[in-house]
Amino acid sequence: MSSTPLLRCERLVVGYGGRPVLPPVDLEIRPGEFWVVVGRNGSGKTTWFRTLLGLLSPVSGQVAWPQGRRPIAYVPQRSAFDELYPVPVREVVAMGAERGWSFLSPGGGRGDRVRQALTEVGAWELRDRNFRALSEGQKQRVLLARMLCSQAGIALLDEPTAAMDAVAEEEAMAMLDGLRRAHNLALVVVSHHLQVAFRHADRILFLDPEVGVEVGTVAEIQQSEAWRARYQDRHAGVLP
Amino acid sequence: MNPPIPAWADFVGAWDLFRDPVICGVAAGAVLGLLGVHVVLRRMVFVAATLSQVSGLGVALAFFAGIHLGTEVPPVLGALALSLLAAVLVSLDTRRLRVSRDSVLATLWLLAGGLAVMVGDRITQEAHDIAGILFGTAVLVRPEDLRAVLGVGALVATGATWAGRGLVFAGFDPDGARVQGLPVRALDVSLLVAVTVMVAVSTRALGALPVFAFSVLPALAALLAVRHLRWAFPLAALLGALAGGLGYLAAFFLSFPVGACQAVTAGLFVLLAVPVRLARGGE
Ligand SMILES: Nc1ncnc2c1ncn2[C@@H]1O[C@H](COP(=O)(O)OP(=O)(O)OP(=O)(O)O)[C@@H](O)[C@H]1O
Ligand SMILES: [Mg+2]
Repeated sequence: MSSTPLLRCERLVVGYGGRPVLPPVDLEIRPGEFWVVVGRNGSGKTTWFRTLLGLLSPVSGQVAWPQGRRPIAYVPQRSAFDELYPVPVREVVAMGAERGWSFLSPGGGRGDRVRQALTEVGAWELRDRNFRALSEGQKQRVLLARMLCSQAGIALLDEPTAAMDAVAEEEAMAMLDGLRRAHNLALVVVSHHLQVAFRHADRILFLDPEVGVEVGTVAEIQQSEAWRARYQDRHAGVLP
Repeated sequence: MNPPIPAWADFVGAWDLFRDPVICGVAAGAVLGLLGVHVVLRRMVFVAATLSQVSGLGVALAFFAGIHLGTEVPPVLGALALSLLAAVLVSLDTRRLRVSRDSVLATLWLLAGGLAVMVGDRITQEAHDIAGILFGTAVLVRPEDLRAVLGVGALVATGATWAGRGLVFAGFDPDGARVQGLPVRALDVSLLVAVTVMVAVSTRALGALPVFAFSVLPALAALLAVRHLRWAFPLAALLGALAGGLGYLAAFFLSFPVGACQAVTAGLFVLLAVPVRLARGGE
């Protein structure tokens, strides 16, 4: 895979109010790659995501888009959605298609995209349910459909399988893998479940405020100093 | 002691007199009902309360300036100026002070209410009743105030409907909307300005109490009654219009103050919607 990167982090330092939470990150994400981001609670995974999304400015360094700025899809950690809104599933999925000021033009003609996306994730029968009344696992499926509906080239998913049982998680990761292949989508997934994550990932970003940042394949990460310092030596029992 | 209950013929006979206030109540109720859906969903209920109270103070101050300072300020401008100022204060980031937004709103509401009654004490001799400003006891509406409500109302209702999908997306999932390039900040500001301006002109015409009621209760009733958000907008507008019109009729036939009747009618819709929700259950 040596195509032009979709997104490049150049000495990117993320943090809040000028205070870094992580050392600088250098990496390139290419179409169709499956990235998994690992790191302990509070290590900066969500902060890094929010910076890539432009919701937070970098402390230093930059996020570059070598192919031009492309639509990005975001599946936030847990439900970041306002539960007061009685929005049906099909409208949540259709939101994926909005861009800029598109909400001022009639939204008709999106029905096909919505149906296709919901069908692809196996959630078509949920279409008229209220989003807020779904189980966490069902919500995640709907959000995957919204991601497909957005026709983004890259998708960031913050712990999409956190609410799932082991079987559902494996199914969800396999589904993500399938969607990635079908749409040549670059996926960046935060996961705390190393076994499942490592089975599907081709690239790992390992974040740790103390021992550092590592980027590489599963094998490379497992050989890295930082990884060994964090897991092999101190917490060998939790490793896959 | 009670005056005899007037007959329908009395109302119809005096329709020329009642036409303007009825139209004004119906229009303000419909537009504020529509906006109210966003107000309720975005937890801005006390913003609406504060804006209407502050608008009332603005009206009272305009009268005061006319009587005691010899400067004629159109009351609707007093309402607009003060409520826009309050809207700016409300949207300042209060986290640096480590106080919540509702305590800021309570401060503004109490200051505005207290000051309005104080100012009201000095304008009563000119027959500008502070109760009319705050509680909407006036039976009639001036033609220029009706025109303001109709003009601003048409503009605001069109804008809110046109940008409706964006307003919902930005309220439901602000981060997602930002990521997709929606002008979230501009939408938030436009909504606040729309609510402020509509509340200000309606408060001048009808009084603070019914305007607060129209901004919250029809939307609440609609949200209780419907299953999907898209139906809440037309239903809230309809209930708001009904509260404005039926409230006026109730005031006429039962001989009660108008604004109070309009507020209570809107409140009854909420009470009626609760069993609808309970019976339907779920979602
Ligand atoms: N709004 C904020 N302002 C200041 N510091 C913050 C803010 N949000 C998070 N932090 C801090 O930044 C660090 C990284 O937080 P972040 O949420 O990115 O962690 P995470 O890796 O996503 O953790 P988790 O696995 O628990 O989701 C933490 O030390 C956290 O306390
Ligand atoms: Mg996180």
